[in-house]
Amino acid sequence: MLSLTFKNLWARKWRSIMTAIAVVFGIALVAGTYVLTDTTTQAFDEIFVKSNEGTDVAITARSEVDQEDGSTPSFSASYLKRVKRVDGVELAAGTVFSPGAILDRERDSTGGGFSPQFISSTLPERLESLDYVEGTVPAGPGQASLDKAAAERSDLGLGDVVTLVGTGKAEPFKLVGLTELGGASFGGTSIAQVTLPIAQRLTGKQGEFDQISVAAESGVSPEQLRDRISEVLPDDLRVETGTENAERNADDIREGLSFLTIALLAFAAIALFVGSFVIFNVFSITVAHRTREFGMLRTLGSSRNQILRTVLLESFIIGLVASVVGILVGLGLAQGLSAILAAVGAELPANALVVLPRTIIVSFLIGIGITMIASLIPAIRSTRVPPIAALSETVAAGGTSRVLLRGIVSAVLAVVGLALIAVVLIGGLSGGSAALKMGAGAVCVLVAISIFSPQLVRPAASAVGAPLERVGGLIGRLARENSQRNPSRTAVTAAALMIGLALVSFVTVFASGLSSSVDKVIEQNFVGELVIQNSGGFLDFPPKAVEAAGEVEGVEAASGQRYATALLDGKGTSISSIEPSTVAEVVTFDWNEGSDQSMTALQDDQVIISEGVADSQGAGAGDRISITSQKGESKEFEVTAVIAPGTLGLTGDLVVTQDTIGRFFGVDLDSSGLVKVADGADVDQVQQKIEDALKGPFPTVDVLNQQELKDSQQEQINTLLAMIYVLLALAVVVSLVGIVVTLILSIYERTRELGMLRAVGMSRRQIRRMVRYEAVITAVLGAIAGLVIGVIFAFLLGIPLEGDGFTLSYPVPVLVVILILTAVAGVIAAIYPARKASRLDILEAISYE
Amino acid sequence: MESTLEERRQSETPRSEIVVARGLERTFGTGEAQVRALEGVDVAFERSRYTSIMGPSGSGKSTLMHILAGLDRPTAGTVEIDGVEITGLDDGELTELRRDKLGFVFQFFNLLPVLTAEENILLPLSIARRKPDREWVDLLIDRVGLDDRRTHRPSELSGGQQQRVAVARALVTKPAVLFADEPTGNLDSKSSDDVLRLLRAAVDEFDQTVVMVTHEPDAAAHGDRLIALRDGHLVHDAPPVSADAVIELLKTLA
Repeated sequence: MLSLTFKNLWARKWRSIMTAIAVVFGIALVAGTYVLTDTTTQAFDEIFVKSNEGTDVAITARSEVDQEDGSTPSFSASYLKRVKRVDGVELAAGTVFSPGAILDRERDSTGGGFSPQFISSTLPERLESLDYVEGTVPAGPGQASLDKAAAERSDLGLGDVVTLVGTGKAEPFKLVGLTELGGASFGGTSIAQVTLPIAQRLTGKQGEFDQISVAAESGVSPEQLRDRISEVLPDDLRVETGTENAERNADDIREGLSFLTIALLAFAAIALFVGSFVIFNVFSITVAHRTREFGMLRTLGSSRNQILRTVLLESFIIGLVASVVGILVGLGLAQGLSAILAAVGAELPANALVVLPRTIIVSFLIGIGITMIASLIPAIRSTRVPPIAALSETVAAGGTSRVLLRGIVSAVLAVVGLALIAVVLIGGLSGGSAALKMGAGAVCVLVAISIFSPQLVRPAASAVGAPLERVGGLIGRLARENSQRNPSRTAVTAAALMIGLALVSFVTVFASGLSSSVDKVIEQNFVGELVIQNSGGFLDFPPKAVEAAGEVEGVEAASGQRYATALLDGKGTSISSIEPSTVAEVVTFDWNEGSDQSMTALQDDQVIISEGVADSQGAGAGDRISITSQKGESKEFEVTAVIAPGTLGLTGDLVVTQDTIGRFFGVDLDSSGLVKVADGADVDQVQQKIEDALKGPFPTVDVLNQQELKDSQQEQINTLLAMIYVLLALAVVVSLVGIVVTLILSIYERTRELGMLRAVGMSRRQIRRMVRYEAVITAVLGAIAGLVIGVIFAFLLGIPLEGDGFTLSYPVPVLVVILILTAVAGVIAAIYPARKASRLDILEAISYE
Repeated sequence: MESTLEERRQSETPRSEIVVARGLERTFGTGEAQVRALEGVDVAFERSRYTSIMGPSGSGKSTLMHILAGLDRPTAGTVEIDGVEITGLDDGELTELRRDKLGFVFQFFNLLPVLTAEENILLPLSIARRKPDREWVDLLIDRVGLDDRRTHRPSELSGGQQQRVAVARALVTKPAVLFADEPTGNLDSKSSDDVLRLLRAAVDEFDQTVVMVTHEPDAAAHGDRLIALRDGHLVHDAPPVSADAVIELLKTLA
């Protein structure tokens, strides 16, 4: 039986290959994701291990709540003295390691868009982890070193000028040294070193450290020293051995990367889900074609189990081969993904590709599992072939349609799916379990539609085919009839495409809603004309930039804003700041309690809260709430006003003064500065003047007018959208492969018919057109279904977001373009099948039985 | 090759022979497995005649008909249909030829299951995007006895009815020649008789030319002329006398 299986697979090799392709894409993405994230994780592990070389004990401040930019609080430099006095400390030194900007000669960034850049201080040689591969360690003012990779990226050499920007004005430094971290890759990240006092001044951390590194005397173990040191230090400082510190940092990174892993795996799951439809279809059709063969095997004494095993063995082998190919493609894909990330400015550090056994095992399990599960129903169907089928002339139509069963199953699934979605919509969107429920609900609904869709194919294909019949006459008519001939086959093929397009249209509608909502917030809430923002890639900028802008002629007011995450009731809550003296000039909000005046009147121990916080805390104006900073300090604030929903993140859930967010919450940098231009002043001229004023001291900021602000927001949304499109394209390509296979199989079935058509005068062109039309009908069916479902899902998900100022908008032209592109994709998918059909040898075709 | 079918037709002098084959040879495969299906066949078919081609299995009768109908190309020799040399035509020209000048009836009825009986009959015209001559179509449908079956799909028709649809389809374009390949091979005797009488009527009433490959003596007896092949050679060419005489002839060939 085994050799028969191989012979069967070989005899239908192109079909087997196409089936395998349906899984290969998904597996490649699974393997690629693991390889990419494992490679990155390992590179980071290396970075952290190497950067703790020579450090026996590391002292850092605890962070009570993670910040979006990953920053940790600094702590007082006075603790260094205490540490030094501990018995067994050979050497201890404080250091600063803080996000900043490193600019080249042209004052362009030395890193990619989203790659962090750090300003750090030099350490005594024993504790210093960076190797100076060229030049010397910066020894005084005006001297800096840079990591060699960044220097090479920006074509900088010793003696060149680099500009560093911390929390103050940009300062020029002479490059005196180039560093490496023992050959470890930083990805797109750059690190500059200066002496400690300069680093502290640049980063606004005078009298503070980010870390104290300690070397132990010989004979004292890091653990012993750690315990001794922690006795003399307060609880808000974390004392770890160098190894512990490296592990914790690596774990943090791993956690951060897990989002990327999950997101990419979700796309892999989509591609695999779509692939399973294709596999199901191919196996269904193949089993139908082999009815007579199975009947023959039964007459020869094969048991049902043996038939089942042959078919499942075939799918096992296809799954196995697909997994092997998928893993290999995945290795390439990992590099491709990393190139995409690098292209959008988030270059990840990487050494050699890391392929863990887990990657291989999971890929095989999924590849073989999906293939076998998808072929299970056709395989079971094959066992139902009676021996008499060996003698029957006609090939079974395949796919028995049990309407009632289908109806019941799909109704149950639809109800379960909609219930899951409803639970999420009513219960709120926060949390990973909501996304999971939403996803599961969507899968249920999609499967329900797929199961029921054979019943819809007939009328739907008639409708979609109508224009083609008008244009193509008989050819269009035949194409339409062909697509209706085996409704379940067309339905499954179209459903595969439907899934991909449902997601495409969902994200399209959602993104369009997002950008129009952002536009609306900018128009309604932003009274100022200009905005000061970080230029691409730099996280935040010195608050002095906003001050400087406020002094420019023609500026009525310039008001800075900062964002952070604080703890409220043990939950991370977004907090933002305003500058009370100027804020009323630049923004306006709707208020549940209070008014715009409340912003102007805001004191340092007061807070404005969002409706969400008001509800969850049961607090209103006059109440007091306790907020905890990242360092873990708690403080009571008096609520003065409740802001109405709909600001779409323009403010945090908590709003405090600039002073408070700086002093108490430790946020030193502005995220944006809003500018009100004086009455009568020309906005463009003022914008130019601000730009001129800021260019020198604050090279990392841009001045945007309202339109430019909208455009830049739009651009960010589009970048994200483009990445999602690329990943969804995998699923769409898989479903197009499904169209190709199904068409080829259908053509194979209709060989004699095609021969007859040729014999009675149909030209090759007409045959090709007929096949093409059929593909277009299937593609458009899938596209329309997908678009409708996607739009409905976006609509549903938009309901609970409405409160946050999110309003959906339906980008009809874009959706129409997607529909047209899908039809074109159908035409492309039909190229090979159409060629095959038109090249049929008439003689063979008509004598074919 | 640049000249159109029309020009070429005019360049030839009209004659009563509508299909002329000269020196036809056809070999399949190479080396040991080589089969010589036709070894030099000269034959011509006159207008408005009903010719049966017979011969034992492997005699080359089907190959001959396939080549005459432009479905297969000879290894050597030429075929002229209605004054047009077809052996050198490309696929597009052959398609046009089949569309305009040839009609086919196959053993397996070869109807499109998705079209009704009438639509199947009109298929060649629809493919050519030509308007049907209603009178002719109605006459034809009436003559093949399917007036009450026009809107039925093939699956709702008996084998005999399906083959009558196929005959009507072959005649709807008033072709120069109608080729029939074992048209009764899949039918019971009653239905066979209906189909054969239709083909006879096509010649007698509609002035058509019919070339039919068959291995059934009864069928061959309906024709005006009986050609027999054996091992790739033409071995008999005369009007058929009776079915019994045909049986005798076949015995001598076997």
